[in-house]
Amino acid sequence: MRGVAWIFLGAMFGFIYLPVAALVLFSFQGGSLPVPPFDGPSLAWYADILGDRDLMAALRHSLVVALASGAVSVALGFGAAYGLARHDLKGQAVLRGLLIAPLTVSYLIVGLGLLIVLQRLGAGLSLWTAGIGHVVINLPLCFAILYAAMGAQQENAERAARDLGAGEARVVLLVTVPMLAAPILAAFFLSVTLSWDEFIIAFLLTRFDVTLPVEIWSLLRSGLSPRLNAVGSLVFLVSVAVVLAMEILVLRRRA
Amino acid sequence: MSGAGRGWGFAAPALIWTGAFFVVPFLVMGAMSLATLEGREVVWGISGENYADLWSRPYLRRAVLVSVEITLTVTAVSVLLAYPLAWIIAHRVPERWQRLALMLAILPFWTSYVVRSYAWLLVLGREEWINDALTGIGLIAEPLTLANTRFATVTGFVHFFTMLLTLTIYANLRQLSPNYARAAADLGANGFRTFAHVILPLTLPGIVTGAFLTFVLCIGDYVTPQILGGNTELTVPQVIMVQLGRRADFPLAAALAIVLMLLVSLAYLASARWLRLDRV
Amino acid sequence: MIRRSALLASAATAAAPALAQDELNALVWCDHTDPALIEPFEEEHGVRVNLREYEGTGAALALLDQSRPGDWDVLVIDAIDVFRAAQAGILAPLPAEELPTGDFFPEVVLEANNSQDGETYAVTEKFGYNTISFNSDAVEPEAMTSLANAWSEDYAGRISIYDYYLPVMGLAAIAEGIPTGKIDADSLETISATLGTMRDRAASVAGVVAAQTALATGEVDIVVGGGEWLTAVLQEERPELTWTIPEEGAVLWAQSIGVLADSARKDLATEFVKYIVSPEGQARLATSSCFWGMPANREAGAHLSDAQKEILRWDAQEDYLSRAQLYPAPDEDLDIEMQDLWLDTLQR
Repeated sequence: MRGVAWIFLGAMFGFIYLPVAALVLFSFQGGSLPVPPFDGPSLAWYADILGDRDLMAALRHSLVVALASGAVSVALGFGAAYGLARHDLKGQAVLRGLLIAPLTVSYLIVGLGLLIVLQRLGAGLSLWTAGIGHVVINLPLCFAILYAAMGAQQENAERAARDLGAGEARVVLLVTVPMLAAPILAAFFLSVTLSWDEFIIAFLLTRFDVTLPVEIWSLLRSGLSPRLNAVGSLVFLVSVAVVLAMEILVLRRRA
Repeated sequence: MSGAGRGWGFAAPALIWTGAFFVVPFLVMGAMSLATLEGREVVWGISGENYADLWSRPYLRRAVLVSVEITLTVTAVSVLLAYPLAWIIAHRVPERWQRLALMLAILPFWTSYVVRSYAWLLVLGREEWINDALTGIGLIAEPLTLANTRFATVTGFVHFFTMLLTLTIYANLRQLSPNYARAAADLGANGFRTFAHVILPLTLPGIVTGAFLTFVLCIGDYVTPQILGGNTELTVPQVIMVQLGRRADFPLAAALAIVLMLLVSLAYLASARWLRLDRV
Repeated sequence: MIRRSALLASAATAAAPALAQDELNALVWCDHTDPALIEPFEEEHGVRVNLREYEGTGAALALLDQSRPGDWDVLVIDAIDVFRAAQAGILAPLPAEELPTGDFFPEVVLEANNSQDGETYAVTEKFGYNTISFNSDAVEPEAMTSLANAWSEDYAGRISIYDYYLPVMGLAAIAEGIPTGKIDADSLETISATLGTMRDRAASVAGVVAAQTALATGEVDIVVGGGEWLTAVLQEERPELTWTIPEEGAVLWAQSIGVLADSARKDLATEFVKYIVSPEGQARLATSSCFWGMPANREAGAHLSDAQKEILRWDAQEDYLSRAQLYPAPDEDLDIEMQDLWLDTLQR
């Protein structure tokens, strides 16, 4: 039985890493076709993408949109979670349902709805509109994470602070936020990751300045090239580095 | 100032944002689905034409069917692969290596989403590798076509969702106290009965929640079937993008989006008993 | 130093009054996004060209309808669809006498398509063929001289169909002896049957990358609807991946470029159009990174290497042009019918 378990584990890891291996291997391809036979290794395609003006601009755009929409999502999500968890509002269940609702809807629908409204209003498309869409899809997650994290422990501390004469703003900023630092960071990190990699909303809602997934999509539509492998591998390596860094930081703190 | 008033103050920005950028667009889209396209003009009104088209145009009807089939297959296969994987990591891998094993199992999650499907195209396009392996061990006699088929779409999806589900199911399994299994064993249950009557029911909410998320994300996805599916059968999102990209038929696209929404609602109703969406 | 650059700048301003405006917004096909094509123009005029790609004419027209006046300056569009844009009042007249159409391949000037009531609204910039791409190691080149043979039973399962309805339906029409210009609701039935045969024998219906991958990996040996734009970029490394024009002929695609009527920067936009059809611009466009294609302007030949001309089949153009037929140009109703037929055939 044990043997079967290990074989299964091995097979699954093989399955999970198969496409990544193909992607990374052929990013070092010497020729201009990312198909066997392998004729590298060469770093030519990495040099090519690092010198590509549009790709590098898209990378910057993605970072800005991800960080900004992540920050807005967390701020709004925190406000909603605090308001609903600490105050007895009428129609609590309905409000929670409303805030969670975008989670149960496909990204395509969120993007299409926003696109229709923006066009009716005659508003132009830009990174801003893509960012708005990203907040719509990340806000429910931030809300859910922070709402679940607001327990009695913080409430007692908040009450104590209030009894000592602290105003609401000071209570929130000096007591609640520090106590919830870990889930707030987690929510922010999750939002940034999802926005960074989101395609369809960014595709529908941007115009000239696009995010990295949209730029990769145009590359993908324009022809087979190891350049795609290089971009993909680079994004993967950077993301993994960030994930590992977060992991080590969090682990260290806990230890 | 009352507590409730202050509470509203905190919750208002999020509620307004969701209202303005989610609820309103959704309603406008609903209205759009009842409009019609004449020439290039959208004519607002109450018309069921777009929904009638779903029945009268075979390719639209078929798209709904294809989407549902693919999504159900993907959800089932992903759960069947992820559950044992999460189980092995939680119960067979030594405690100190578990975190690392889990990390490794979900690391490719961070490859760019668009690129991931493209990577599968490269792997499956070179089908000799896989065919040689399969004929070698006697599984198949004739080589199979793998790329540009439903098989490719499903593979691409399963790859992604197996990682997602492994994560959620592992978290679920770890939350279970080992005392349950021990108690069942003390009462004379064998391994299988312990699993079927104790572990599985206790982890069911986690599985269903993960499966529901898989369903939502899978049925609404455009990229994976577009890159891997070979376009010999189109899913609903692909048809929506064709309506937008080639003829700018927003009313029909909106109607299809509403249909997508209804399919998700059906899945929600089917799984509502076990869903824990507030604890994703 | 400062004075000299100021002088230069003012001289440039005098020469090109558009210099004060610093951005140009163009709605284009992907071959225009190559920096090697755009940057020389940006540097010369000190402007930034913003580019947005689109897929189908219908979508572009809808996008323009819904934009604010002045949002867009330049439009690249299927030559056969120029009349739709002109009739909708979207395009501004071009100064025909300033365009080098006299140097063009005469077959692709397409005056009937690019002008309306004596006014020129667009100018052809690039053309090529939707025909048969194939692997000459796996398929006898002689066998590909007949269209119907390309999708015959012999190659069942080794064919990919290019995923765009107009050229593929055009090829089906040509195979059935229906001129592409005569496609109507009645002839769709015949075309539908041929399309069905094609579809049954095809392994996939593929976009550019999927079709290239399938050819390069040997998954398929024939791409119906392919052409130089599909295989030219592969040729250097995989010379066996080639294309031909069968005896029945093939579909001629041509893209045109024009200035938008609502543009607030018409002078600069016109300069851009003139740059694109100039010999230098034409050579860069022909070999742009997204896809290759023949430049409309013959003078571009002086700026292309012999190897590049060989890949483009420069010397065979006369023969090819004489046998190719222009893209089908359906009106809006027929267009919808054709798209529905296409989707129905795919979805069988």
